[in-house]
Amino acid sequence: MSADTADRPTLAAEVSAALAERLTALADDELVLGHRNAEWTGHAPLLEEDIAIANVAQDEIGHAVLWYGLLQDLTGQDPDRLAFFRHADGFRTSVLVERPRGDWAFTMLRQFLFDSYEAELMPRLMRSSYAPLSEVAAKVNREELFHLRHSALWLERLAHGTDESRRRLEDALAVLWPLMPQLLRPLPGDELLSREGIYPDAGELAAAVMARVSRELEAVGLALPPAAARELPPRTERLDDQLAHLLAEMQSVARADPEAESW
Amino acid sequence: MSADSTDLSLDSQGARWEVLKKDTERKPHQAVGSVHAADPEHALLMARTVFARRPAAVSMWVAPASRIHTFTLQELEDLPADEPADPSAEPRAYLVVVKTSNKRSMTFGDLMGEVEGRTVRQALDAALQSLEGQPVLALWLVEKDSVVRSDPELADPWFGPALDKTYKQQSVYSSRATAKKDATEGVPR
Repeated sequence: MSADTADRPTLAAEVSAALAERLTALADDELVLGHRNAEWTGHAPLLEEDIAIANVAQDEIGHAVLWYGLLQDLTGQDPDRLAFFRHADGFRTSVLVERPRGDWAFTMLRQFLFDSYEAELMPRLMRSSYAPLSEVAAKVNREELFHLRHSALWLERLAHGTDESRRRLEDALAVLWPLMPQLLRPLPGDELLSREGIYPDAGELAAAVMARVSRELEAVGLALPPAAARELPPRTERLDDQLAHLLAEMQSVARADPEAESW
Repeated sequence: MSADSTDLSLDSQGARWEVLKKDTERKPHQAVGSVHAADPEHALLMARTVFARRPAAVSMWVAPASRIHTFTLQELEDLPADEPADPSAEPRAYLVVVKTSNKRSMTFGDLMGEVEGRTVRQALDAALQSLEGQPVLALWLVEKDSVVRSDPELADPWFGPALDKTYKQQSVYSSRATAKKDATEGVPR
């Protein structure tokens, strides 16, 4: 999983610390979104979609493992400890992925927004000057193509389906749209990473993501809701206790027997 | 299997689609099972999700069950008289999928070729003629224009990732047997 140490470029301490924060954010978003999607297992509206959403969940958690792996190479932090024994305050998640799964329209629209974000982010990361990051991005990008195809398919069908499907989609958009700026807001160290060519420019990335999703949402006839009335807290703080509730469940098995060799 | 008798209501699970999967370039497309879906594109995505997450695949096709004419061995032995063909009708193309063996298998039938006919019976006769000498336990005629195919250009993102996911193989999850020997001693059998 981890890149060969010999190939890993040496980073200045300041750069390394900034990269560790960004990798934590990347990994945490994927882990928590994966867990939210996994909450559908056994409950999805169609049998085939039950398998599909479980697949997407497994893929996102797989991507989290890749980002945590890069973090481990950098800082020595154990991915399992980070996922299963860390307090909610230590997470760097976006509010978008923390929200409860909602109905199918909410889950599919959130997935569409996140997939669109990754569809812009990954090609940029593939050009990163930090080789281990560009390698992982290429791997993630390959799977995201299918995720986006799936979530975009649902966006279109829910938008043009029934009055009820359209209403549910509009309700979901009203909740999710104001969360987009926080998803795209840079961490304090991102500017340094951008100067080093490790991570893309936050402003340019955010503009590209918003242009893409605005175009797609308008193409299916959805009106874009107004921006958030107030600014959300940064990724270093929690808006509410939704993540804590999720972690209480996700971490319960590991915490029940911290010495277990396998489970 | 008559055309629509097993289709579930459209407002719940969608129509039934049969899935044909090609494992490698050297193998034929094989009938692997069915999915329910709302429309052709959805059916193809669901087919990829259900049938290509673990094993290898290079191509996948779906066709609505309502556009597949199916024949069991018994039905083939006792075919009713053919309906007269409309001479002005254009011949229709069908894919021929045949089950040739009762050996235990994850697949139902193999794609054996393509035939044309003005009626289903004409196509069936052509199919049976082309299969001369081969065992036929069941046969499908799939209306060719109903088939939706995966995009060869997207074969890598569609089918590539499954190859790396060894954690999806059942064999990865071996159980740990740690029963103590003395716990089983003296237990009457």
